[in-house]
Parts: sequence; C-alpha cells; structure tokens
Amino acid sequence: MKLPLAMITALLLSQPALAQRKPAAAVGFPDAPGKDVLLTKCFQCHSPNMWTDQRQDRRSWESTLYRMIGRGALWTPDEIRQMADYLGNVYGRKQ
Amino acid sequence: MRELVARFLSQSISRRTFLKGMTTAGISLTAAKDILESLVPAAHAQAKEGAAFKVVEGSGAMCFAEQLIASGVRYVFGNSASEDAQFYEALVDRPQLKYILTPHEGPGAAMAAGYVKASGEPTIVMQAAVVGLVNAMGQMFNAYKEQTPLVFYSYRTDQSGRAGRDGFEEVANQEQIVQPMTKYAWLARRADMIPETVRRAFKAAWTPPHGPTYCSWHSDFNDQHVRAEVVMQEKVDPRMRVRPNPAEVERAAKLLVEAKLPLMIVGDEVYTAKAMAKAVKLAELLGMPVTQMRQIYANFPETHPLWVGTPPAARLVSLDYPKNPDVILNVGNKLQHNSPNPMIARGAKFIDMRIDSLSMGNVIEVDVPLVADVAMGLDDLTAAVSQLVTPALKQRAAARADEAHKFHDKARELRDLVMKNPDWERAPMLADRVTREVAEFADRDAIIVHEAGSVALHGFDFNPDGGRELFFYYGAHLGSGVGTAAGVKLARPKRQVICLVGDGSFVFGPTALWNMARLELPVITVVYNNHAYSGPHSRVIEKVPGGRMVQTGHFFHDYLGSPDMDMASIAKGFGVQGEVAHSPAELRDALARARRASVEGKPYLIDAQVARVGVAWADKPWIPPAQT
Repeated sequence: MKLPLAMITALLLSQPALAQRKPAAAVGFPDAPGKDVLLTKCFQCHSPNMWTDQRQDRRSWESTLYRMIGRGALWTPDEIRQMADYLGNVYGRKQ
Repeated sequence: MRELVARFLSQSISRRTFLKGMTTAGISLTAAKDILESLVPAAHAQAKEGAAFKVVEGSGAMCFAEQLIASGVRYVFGNSASEDAQFYEALVDRPQLKYILTPHEGPGAAMAAGYVKASGEPTIVMQAAVVGLVNAMGQMFNAYKEQTPLVFYSYRTDQSGRAGRDGFEEVANQEQIVQPMTKYAWLARRADMIPETVRRAFKAAWTPPHGPTYCSWHSDFNDQHVRAEVVMQEKVDPRMRVRPNPAEVERAAKLLVEAKLPLMIVGDEVYTAKAMAKAVKLAELLGMPVTQMRQIYANFPETHPLWVGTPPAARLVSLDYPKNPDVILNVGNKLQHNSPNPMIARGAKFIDMRIDSLSMGNVIEVDVPLVADVAMGLDDLTAAVSQLVTPALKQRAAARADEAHKFHDKARELRDLVMKNPDWERAPMLADRVTREVAEFADRDAIIVHEAGSVALHGFDFNPDGGRELFFYYGAHLGSGVGTAAGVKLARPKRQVICLVGDGSFVFGPTALWNMARLELPVITVVYNNHAYSGPHSRVIEKVPGGRMVQTGHFFHDYLGSPDMDMASIAKGFGVQGEVAHSPAELRDALARARRASVEGKPYLIDAQVARVGVAWADKPWIPPAQT
C-alpha cells in the first residue's frame, strides 16, 4: 500500500509522542540551511499540504511567517530569518 | 368593585377585564378608566415586592407574561406574530416586561444570548410558529454547544380544534424538531398549563450545566380565558451549587502536591461561576502554569506571570511551555474535540473539575473526577492543597513560578514580533494590523465580541476580573456576532463593546444593527473585509493539495468580491453610521470617529479592508461564469 506524503505526515503527527520530533517523512523538503528549524517549528500545527503548492519570494514567505506569530507561534527573529531563507530558496517564485 | 380592585392589584386580571367588570357594575367607562389609572402605580409596586405564588386569571398569554415576570425576565426578544396578540396586549400594563422587536429571529436570538451571557439574567426569545422557529434554530444550536441558558417559545399555528390538517404554518410534532439541541422541549396541553410549562423551561435552562430549552402550545391557548398558578423562580430553582466529593478532592490535592510539573487548563465554567480569583489563588499556591483551550470567554488574566498562552494547534502538546506536564488540572473547560487526537496526550494524570459531568470522560480518561460548581471546587481543592503544603513544596512552587514567569515574559516579547511583519504598513491591511489597531484603541475594560473566525486575536491582554473581556464562540452557526454585541451592550451599558466580525459572518446576521440604532446601543463594529471566505479557502487546499483547483485557480466556494459588498452602506441601511477604512491611518481616524459616535450614544461600523493572503489567491480571483 502506498500512502501519499500528506497521509504519512498526518499519521506521524497524530502520535503525540512523536509530534515534537522532526518528522521522518519530510519528503519534498530538500536539505538546505534552515530546514531543521522549519520542520521543528511548523509541523507542530501544519501538514505540508498548505505550502507545497505555494510559490512566493523570500519577502512574502517572511510575511507569511510573521502572520503565524499572530496565530500563536513563538519564534525568534533568527528562527524566522532561517525559515524565510529556506522557503525563499526552496519554494521561491517559479521562474 | 373592591374585589375587582384587589384582583387587578394582584395582577390576577387584566386591564380589559377590570374595565369590563366595572362597567358591568354600573360605573361609567370614563370613571372606570380614571380609577384604573390611579391603581397602576400601586399594582406595579406590589408586583415588585413579589409573592412566591399567586393565582392569575385572564388570557393564556397574560398568564404567560405573568410567569415570565415571576421567572425573573426583564427583556423579551421577539419577532412579530399575530397569534401572540394577547401577549402584546398583556405587555401594555406590564412595563416591567420590555419587549425588543428584532427584525430576524436569528440575530434576535443571538442578541438574547449575548444579553444572558453578559447579564447572567434570564430572558426569552419568541418566534412566529415553526417558520420563525427554524430561523432561530441556528442560534439555538449555538446556545446548546455553548451551554447558554436561553429559553425559546413559539406557538403552534394549528388550533386545537383544527390540528393535523396540514394548515397554514403547520408542521407535525413541532416541539420534537428541537429536541436534539435542547435540554427540555415541551408542548403545554392546556391553556392553564402555560405557566408551569414556562417555569419548567426556565428551571431546566438555568440548572447547571446550562443549555437552551423550548416551550410551545397551540395558538388558541393564548386567547383562552383561564385561571392558573404562577410561581416565582426561587421556588422551583434547585440551586445546584455542588461541592465536589471530599475523597476525590483529597486525591486531587495529593496528585498536585506531588507533581513535578502541574498544569492548569481553565474554561468557561470559571467565568460563569465568577471564580477567576480562585483559579489565580490555586495556581499561585502551586506555582502552576495556566493555559486555556478554545472557549467563549477569557477565563484567566493574560497578564498574570503564570499565564502561558493558548496552544496554537488545539492540542496541549503544541504549547511551547510547559512540555510534558505530569499532572493536568482542568477547571471548567468542555474540551471540545475537533480532531480524532485527544487534546491531552495520554500519560499525564488528569484531574477534571466541572459541573458538566455528562461530557466528562468522553475522550480523555480521568484519574480524578471532581463534579462541582468550580467556585466551590476551587475553594475545596485550595484548602486541601494548603493542608499539604510543606517548606519543600513551597520551594518547588516558587521555582516553577519563576520558570513560568520567565517564559511568560519571553512569550510576550515574541508575540509582539507580529508587528515586525514587512507588510505591516500595507493597504489593504493585514488582519493582524487591524487587530492591533483595535487593541491599541479599546478601553481598558472593553468587552470584545469576536466572530471573525479566521482571525486570531492578540494584544488585548484580556482580564476577566475587571479588565477587558472576551466573548468568542464555538457553536459556529455564523451570524451571531452583531446580535451578541447588541445584547452585551444592552446588559452592560457602561462598558465599551467592540464587535469584531469577518465579512462572511457579518452578512449572515447584520439585522441587529437596526436594534443598535433603535435602542441607542453604541457598539463599535469592525468588519474584517477581505471579500472572501478565507478559512474555507485554505482548508480546501489542505484537503486537495496540488489539485485541479490550485492548478486552474478555479475556486467555486470562497470569493465574495464580485459584485462587491459594501458593509458601510449595509450599516447605513439599518440606521447605523459607517465608513470604509483602507489603510492603517484611515482605520485609526475611523476608530476616533467611532469613539465620538459612542459618546453620543450611536453605534458605528468600520468596514476595514483586509488583504487576502495565503495560498493560491489571485489578485482578481476567478468566478464561475454567470451563464453557461
């Protein structure tokens, strides 16, 4: 049986004890600086489905991350910078 | 003649019956009217003193009105119904019952619910037969989910002599329609049974755990002349203020004292029991951090150093602090689950203190159940913990409090980073910017009614014990916000009331604006207008990632901007001043004008233009062609 990425991630996140770890099924998230911070911080609330469809420049990703502060995320400016760098690099606007 | 006077003074007979009796006894109508007018002040004074029981005689609807007075009702919310004619007739000589005409039953019921929540006083919502009832049922659902003690009434249009003929506005078994979402639903079988049916409805609604009730009767019962007994609420109220089982209190105290890292969750029963200070006292005694899962009210002062915020993902595990608490004490939170995962991960010891025993243990297993009025429960638990306090525990509690305090301060600093968003100055505005501007503007003791479902509030520092209060929702039948705000302002006229509402929610229930204008309720309404259903937009994409909707941009379900809706113009249509604010500067100016309007007793609406942000929003979203 082959499970889609979203389902694998959702299943992993449904196990509370595992929810605080880095998800093992972070397929589609290439290694690059900032990846570890992103997976630790964002997967507490989100499955990746929300953003694998999103392409925007670094500044827009930065704005997105600051909006998450408004929704209860507690991140330092340095963590936001690392995540914005990563997302701008990996999920930047399509050429 | 003396008997007639006595019966009128005891409100056993109506004004009309009095005049009829006097003229029958040979008094001229003019003289009878003069006598009547001279008796009215004395009749009202007697009514204020209130007897526990009294026998009344008159129309069934007059008996209904008398029982409402005896049940403590001051305001009646209703929409026009010709079959309630005798009730309106009874109102004329009963100024202690104030009727509020609401142009739609849904926002009318929301207004009544807001009044109940903010005043703690009973009220009733009246609708015209089943046709009005079904309009009100959305808010009945909200009252059921949110445990609001709201009484509903509507008559059955079919008359006793003609029932069952599929008549005008007739449906079979009308009272059964509402049964799954009421604590009590009953059809009075005779006109003289109206008062007892009504008082049972009030008793059931106001006996904890609270909830809505419904009463009904054939419309011709309102017209029948009957003699019936009316009973004051205090004679039927079981006064269910329950102390917890002492043995369970001892077990809970032991667990809390021995815990390495206890955590308290607060909920709405804390607010309704006015037990905020008691929750603070217990938390301070143990150096115990405090959080809250989604509820209606803010139940703990958010500026208190033990407050650690709410979990961002509706599960305790998503809290940044504390991680892995070993003992969790829930005080009055219903813990409504919207996902299969338990909010509280298995492993920690769980103490559940609530009056709502029915939902206890539904999803989360309970180690120590404390069925209680939480004010009494907190008193008893605090006393039991105090008995076990040792110098070593005091030291541990102080260390925990210090750690929680550090987190509290750090979290506060990090939350303020929301203002560092590079788009902070943009127009149309970020929703976060609108929120912060309102938070800066609001009075120190403002009441915030919040029905902007996709907007998370921050910066308000809610403190239910004398500071800013929150009236949120989780029933989620939309269109409650404006009506709720009107009801809250009616109940708390000296407090600033600000209604925050999304454009989608707003258009479900704007008619209560008319009530604000008519009753001079100076509510400030701020509409977060992004011309879209942004919540459903995002959630649909999460369910169908990379699907045809995203590929084509063809979203059928979310865009409201073509043609556009002008909320300020809608407000003007209901007699409420309003304006559109496009930028932060315009919003600040608009809020200043709103404040000036409030001083003059006038409501005000601001249509705040908010940016659509998130995945797959086009600048000009696609809409389905009008004709194929």
